Amino acid sequence: METSSSSSAPPPPPHSIPASGVWEDASPLLAAACRDLQDGELVHGENFSLFGAMSALEIMDPKMDSGIEKSGYYSIEEAIEDGIAPVPLSLDRTIDVQRTLDVMDHLFSCEATWHKGHTLAQTVFTCIYLMRMERTSSHAILNSFCRILRATCYAVVSVVSTARTHEEEDLFTMSFGLPLRDEGDEKCLSILNSVEETISRQLRACKAQALSKKKTLEGLESLQDNPDLEEDYCRALLCRLRFRKHFYHVVTCLRKPHGKGLELARKHVASCLTELSLMLKSRDFLKSQSNHTLQQDDEICTTASGVRPVGFDASLNSRLLSPAPPRAVKILSWSDAIRYFEKLLCDLDIICSSPLDPVLENVLHFVVQFQKSVPDLVPRAFLQTLLVQDGKLYGRDLSCDVISRALSLPDIIGDKEFQMNEFVVQLGQLVINLLKILCTNTAWQRRKLGKSLQDWSTISIQLELALKREFGETRNVLPHENMCMRVSKQLLVWTQEHTYWVAYRFLILGFELDLYSPSEYCMVYWYMYVVLMKLIEQMQLRILASNENSRRKGKKKKDHSKDSSRDMAFPSSCLLLQCYVLLSEGLSMMLAALRIKSNLFQLPSIFNSEQERFIQHFDLLQKARLPEHITYYSFRESASHATIADLMKYNFFKEIHKITPSLRGSFASEPEKLAEIRQIEQVAEHNRIALNIISQVRAGDPSLRVSFEFTHHPHFAVAVVKRS
Amino acid sequence: MSAEAIERGEPSGERDGVGDGGITYVSYGGEHPLPLVMSLVDEELSEPYSIFTYRYFVYLWPQLTFLAFDPKDGKCVGTVVCKMGEHRGAFRGYIAMLVVLKPYRGRGIATELVKRSIQVMMESGCEEVTLEAEVTNKGALALYSRLGFIRAKRLYRYYLNGVDAFRLKLLFPRPDPGLHPMMLGNERDDQHMDSPYL
Repeated sequence: METSSSSSAPPPPPHSIPASGVWEDASPLLAAACRDLQDGELVHGENFSLFGAMSALEIMDPKMDSGIEKSGYYSIEEAIEDGIAPVPLSLDRTIDVQRTLDVMDHLFSCEATWHKGHTLAQTVFTCIYLMRMERTSSHAILNSFCRILRATCYAVVSVVSTARTHEEEDLFTMSFGLPLRDEGDEKCLSILNSVEETISRQLRACKAQALSKKKTLEGLESLQDNPDLEEDYCRALLCRLRFRKHFYHVVTCLRKPHGKGLELARKHVASCLTELSLMLKSRDFLKSQSNHTLQQDDEICTTASGVRPVGFDASLNSRLLSPAPPRAVKILSWSDAIRYFEKLLCDLDIICSSPLDPVLENVLHFVVQFQKSVPDLVPRAFLQTLLVQDGKLYGRDLSCDVISRALSLPDIIGDKEFQMNEFVVQLGQLVINLLKILCTNTAWQRRKLGKSLQDWSTISIQLELALKREFGETRNVLPHENMCMRVSKQLLVWTQEHTYWVAYRFLILGFELDLYSPSEYCMVYWYMYVVLMKLIEQMQLRILASNENSRRKGKKKKDHSKDSSRDMAFPSSCLLLQCYVLLSEGLSMMLAALRIKSNLFQLPSIFNSEQERFIQHFDLLQKARLPEHITYYSFRESASHATIADLMKYNFFKEIHKITPSLRGSFASEPEKLAEIRQIEQVAEHNRIALNIISQVRAGDPSLRVSFEFTHHPHFAVAVVKRS
Repeated sequence: MSAEAIERGEPSGERDGVGDGGITYVSYGGEHPLPLVMSLVDEELSEPYSIFTYRYFVYLWPQLTFLAFDPKDGKCVGTVVCKMGEHRGAFRGYIAMLVVLKPYRGRGIATELVKRSIQVMMESGCEEVTLEAEVTNKGALALYSRLGFIRAKRLYRYYLNGVDAFRLKLLFPRPDPGLHPMMLGNERDDQHMDSPYL
């Protein structure tokens, strides 16, 4: 008989047997129940949930039972006894070095595979040398390598756990009681340094010997027995050991509080990249020395030599993973692992380049820009732990100070009353959460951003009510207003601006995640237009107020050249948004006109209508009243009047070219923004041409084929027109 | 959970009861179809499901499970397995598994199976229907898109094989009091915004 496992916990057992209780033998009852049940039948209670059903595993089903995976060994000890992880790795000293290098390379591939989202147990810790490190104490090279690798793994686990990147870190940080930490690991650097020193002395000796053509190496013990190969083996080992050393430094420097280790981390990142390229260089030599019959294809092999390493057993830990179905783990090839680490180091380099800017706008821009290269979990966790430490920006700036700085009210930085204000406290929390959310993977990020909209909007509404209650209805900031009112108004504007910033990011991430189908582009661009207009409106209000502040300040202080240069920067960020407005409006109107003119991009379905799809896509925005009074009918009304003729007349795509030249000037020193402008221009130009062609086709012409592609910008599509 | 093994480019043209190619559709009843459902799903889908998972669905919501048979040889060629219930305050249908054998794909069998389940869900008072599908499963995504599903979320590395999933959702129309289009004319004047499209 099979039994079910259920997700709901059974009631706790009573602490003591109640006096009135009478014990009875239930065995006959159970036996009778068993007789009644056929094979495969099931008794279940009210609480038989899907989770319970799915958590049940069928023992000995290879798809589900991870323990079944037929390992020849029941324990590590048994595997060791069988000689699969010998120390030394071979009695032939040359082969011993070869095999050591293979173990290092395979561990490197395992480490990359772990970073890519598998468990430590099924990757790095499939290495028996790592699992029983005491066995390698006589093998200094392997021992030092394993020790620093383990210490690095531990440090990386700690970063990712600290960052709490939600569902992603689950598998990553699970250590299943593996020996992830050992007392000796603090000394891993000094142990490695001494091994490195020995080998580099040996390398120098090799070079000197080559020059002097002497036969013997005085006073030094060679790595292996073939003097002709000594130099290359030294180099191959050194770059691997040095990579480990610098990478360990990178990891520890990045964790220094207040971003104090960034500069040093950056140097080590550069060194890591150098060692990676040396590792790649060593491949030809290692291949030439390895047994050709054992070599695997570059695309699958996990070592530079192409030879499968000794000392690993992928299935030993599989029993640790229960109860869960076995996840397929394919260890990355060594070439892919090199590519992974190159990308990782480039992403970490971006983090190291952070100027630790306290201005929120710049921090947000930095994170968004960072996310464009689609960084993996580890660099995202590092960025998050840099940005948010102890609930402060960089562990340094209180979030209320970040806000007061954003309000261009330097007078109130550190002001206790402002800091204690309940709105400021709540907003400070939202800002910190926002920074954390922006460091997560885009799929999760969009969900969290969507949920946070409600919080942002609630504070907006409460602030607005409080403002009305305290100061009446006046909306404009007047010169004679008292400080308190001015602060409240600016706080409101700032809150609304950021609410729309979050809303806009929520919408555009939908494109990156491929959540919209072409028949929905029309309404998505329409909503983007609406949100962008609100965003610009709030941004302009903020700029106005901040100009007012600096004007006042200018009266007191003569030197305000810095402030005026910052004021100049605001209009360009508004203008950039204006480009997005024009693109959104143009694309939405083009799609709407195509629907009317040629019946394209419509998707009638039997179970619901476009209205339901609108509600579903924008539900979170609508619930947060972003903006108020916007409904499906507002969209439908706009969309039902769109014509190509109107679009030709008010050619939004042409308008963009009037804005971009001045933007180029403002962003002359910011290459990534210049690249963005270039992309915008390309989208505008392609759509302008497409629009011309469409306008020449008569209505209802069935030969017209239009598709939308994201070839020039991740969020703004380009119309591709074909006549069949 | 949920996975779909159906071909890309399923035609959207539908037929009833006995479709062309003579497929017959049967609602789940009795114990004997369970092995049929299990072997179909096991054969075509990568995710492992225990017998409890199947029983959970087919015993609690037999009316939402349908099977497709080829009458020529009586072979079961496709199935859909679903559930429905309260979820965060909404009554929601859920499509757990949809499978059509490879040689029978491209004939609208999957569409027909899933339409039947959705129809029952709608009649039972569901407000919406959801499911998950692999982001790479173009056939399933196209099928559900034609039926009015949107891609509501992307679920990072959702499946055991490490592939992302989309959460698809179909919202049924509901009466929407107070939002009649005629009432919106004045409210829109509140927007401090040029009306889109001039």
